[in-house]
Amino acid sequence: MLEQLLIFTRGGLILWTYRELGNALKGSPVDALIRSCLLEERSAETSFSYDAPAGGATYTLKWAFHNDLGLVFVAVYQRILHLLYVDELLAAVRREFSHIYDPKRTAYDEFDEIFRQLQKEAEARAEEMRKSKQSNRAPPVAGKKQGPGQRAGSQGNGKKKGVKVGSGKDDGDGESGKGRGLSNGSSNGQENGIEESSRVPSVVVKGNENGTPEVGAFDVNKLQKLRPKGGKKSDAGGGGGKASKAEPKKILKKNRVWDDSPSKSRLDFTDPGDEKGDNIVDVVAADQGESMMDKEEIVSSESESEEDEEVESAKPGTKKKGWFSSMFRSIAGNAVLLRSDLTPALKALKDRLMTKNVAEEIAEKLCESVAASLEGKKLGSFTRVSSTVQTAMEEALLRILTPKRSIDILRDVHAAKEQGKPYVIVFVGVNGVGKSTNLAKVAYWLLQHNVSVMMAACDTFRSGAVEQLRTHARRLQIPIFEKGYEKDPAIVAREAIQEACRNSSDVVLVDTAGRMQDNEPLMRALSKLINLNNPDLVLFVGEALVGNDAVDQLSKFNQKLADLSTVPNARLIDGILLTKFDTIDDKVGAALSMVYISGAPVMFVGCGQSYTDLKKLNVKSIVKTLLK
Amino acid sequence: MEQWMHQIEQWVRQPPVEQLYAALAVLVVTLAFFSILRLLKPSKSATIVLAGLSGSGKTTLFFQLCDDSPHQGTVTSMDPNEGTFVLHSELEKKGKLKPVHLVDVPGHSQLRPKLDEFLPHAAGLIFVVDSLDFLPNCRAAAEYLYDILTKASMVKRKTPILIVCNKTDRMTAHSKEFIKKQLEKEIDELRTSRNAISSADIANEYTLGVPGEAFTFSQCRNKVTIAEASGLTGEISQVKQFIRDHVEP
Repeated sequence: MLEQLLIFTRGGLILWTYRELGNALKGSPVDALIRSCLLEERSAETSFSYDAPAGGATYTLKWAFHNDLGLVFVAVYQRILHLLYVDELLAAVRREFSHIYDPKRTAYDEFDEIFRQLQKEAEARAEEMRKSKQSNRAPPVAGKKQGPGQRAGSQGNGKKKGVKVGSGKDDGDGESGKGRGLSNGSSNGQENGIEESSRVPSVVVKGNENGTPEVGAFDVNKLQKLRPKGGKKSDAGGGGGKASKAEPKKILKKNRVWDDSPSKSRLDFTDPGDEKGDNIVDVVAADQGESMMDKEEIVSSESESEEDEEVESAKPGTKKKGWFSSMFRSIAGNAVLLRSDLTPALKALKDRLMTKNVAEEIAEKLCESVAASLEGKKLGSFTRVSSTVQTAMEEALLRILTPKRSIDILRDVHAAKEQGKPYVIVFVGVNGVGKSTNLAKVAYWLLQHNVSVMMAACDTFRSGAVEQLRTHARRLQIPIFEKGYEKDPAIVAREAIQEACRNSSDVVLVDTAGRMQDNEPLMRALSKLINLNNPDLVLFVGEALVGNDAVDQLSKFNQKLADLSTVPNARLIDGILLTKFDTIDDKVGAALSMVYISGAPVMFVGCGQSYTDLKKLNVKSIVKTLLK
Repeated sequence: MEQWMHQIEQWVRQPPVEQLYAALAVLVVTLAFFSILRLLKPSKSATIVLAGLSGSGKTTLFFQLCDDSPHQGTVTSMDPNEGTFVLHSELEKKGKLKPVHLVDVPGHSQLRPKLDEFLPHAAGLIFVVDSLDFLPNCRAAAEYLYDILTKASMVKRKTPILIVCNKTDRMTAHSKEFIKKQLEKEIDELRTSRNAISSADIANEYTLGVPGEAFTFSQCRNKVTIAEASGLTGEISQVKQFIRDHVEP
């Protein structure tokens, strides 16, 4: 049943709550909803899942807005229940409450009665729908009954990911009745903690058989929250077993033979492990001046009145009529914004964002979210729809791009120094984005702030990677830890950190090999590196030239890191390093796509190929460029 | 209608015309004088801004001040709360009562830019700190406070700041002296890490404190005081005193 229904203002004051049986909610799901969903402009999604941190309960939350009055209605219920009537109930509650709402009042006790009535009606309607559907589907349901039972048994500990498939989406089919029956049994298990993932597969399977996989509701929260220990253990156990089986059968990589010429000796030209050798090469200490991180950015202030004209010039014919009517209404004021009014303005905005290289999916979700926050709002007098939409989008973009957590690395480095440990930064990313180059830039910047840096060459795959880093280290005159090629990067990283402890370096910069997000074995190796060494900062290096692939890269990286993690609190991507920023003129959309999909802030921006070309992201100028 | 006009004309012309003109002139001059005075004298703003980390209890404090009750509880604010209220002690005073304009700015880090809208007009800032859950959030609170203390609009106008240790109704809440020391220590460290070498420190517009000495709040150009309060139970007398001191009618 419904656990709680809250009505609160956008300013944060709770106006009315309904609590089932007076049970308090475990954790603070509503705060989590606001922080990770509504403020992140994901309000167009259908639902939000929340795991109480103490492992108590898992909830699903649904919400509705009343934008004109500035109210938010949130319903909370147990995830295992598939309540079908929540959407309708929220809409009905919104309707009724807006009648009795008064900005000066803060207590609405009479709403209890109204709510009880609405709830009964909604439940009755849902029961009717379910019964009618059940009678339609009675024959096939009996046949399917065998399936779930068997698959549940054999599947063992399934992934929890699948649970979200069933929850949140009002499937409204006959199987939900069975689901409730089963879930009543499993709800007791659920209370005991997340160990009961054995029951989860039954819901998982059900969701799969419904044939409507929930893809739309992207849940960053899911990535960052606890994963069932049971699921993890089986994966790790399976993986470990496989690995141990594979060990004795390891086949050494054979050199590729191209033609009939006699095979050459090993192609490893690494200098025999002596980094002090090579007196021939001049040591040019790199001192190219101040890194751009510390320079003030000169932002050109251009007039912003250009945007409205652009929007109008887009479609002169049909726009004229729309312009007239909107002009009329804007002067008159008191026009309530409808979806039909917002669609053209939002479509224009979405196209504009996409021309700025924002991924299509992200632009779509963002526009949906802005529409959700504007629908039903009263238009102020003398304002046009397009300008309202523009302001709302600008606010939303500013909010998304502003970092959620502190990006002051120097402070973190100092804190780690006090504790006596080195601060470890791992650079990950796909092939060819600029990890090694930007690693050197970060090292240069840190050196300028009197921090002792050490590099760790954990790219043991690409030819020349170790030499490249060695050259940088020589130029910057910092120590480098390397073990040559074809070594396990995770072990190399661990030894590098131990070495850093010994020679008391403040920061260790770990370079990894580039890998595609679909490459399972490589992602597993990366996950192993991160789990083994537990770095302080996992920096995803992405190039600003990337288009729609940014979404895929980041989401798959995060997913793999979460899935293959051996600890409950998986380490995900903590920050983003945006590279090749000088090559894009004003197509800065990749920054938005990456920040939106991962929730991680942009910590550095690489804007050139020399040591000083590293700067911070200027949020205001990016937003201005995006909406120009 | 015409009759009425005629009657007015007659009534107007009754006294001698010069006197009438003189009276009008005096009226106009007096009005002009007062309007100039009002324009020239800078009207003392009566805005108090509530700032602090998310979850420190600003919205509860806001409603406690405005309505004398925290109502049914709060959730994370998405928009600023603005309200005006009159301090009860002022009701006893005679004369014009100036209502205090209170603004509660959301503490969520992505909503921080909203603070810049209200700071330039603030007569005082109340920085709310959660004294219950202080140590895990100490660094974040110190960073926020440091950012506020180094904003140009704060330093130039010498806005007074009150640091309120909220949630003191609970047993495990830290004392205000402890919180003061911890904040000073953290800000001291922030000073060193932010002012490391670069002369063009783009992050903050002013530097805090005296170089070479440990930072204390007395070194700030703004007057910083520290107090205890509890938003839930209504023990906000020190907060009210601060408001009374700095919002003059």
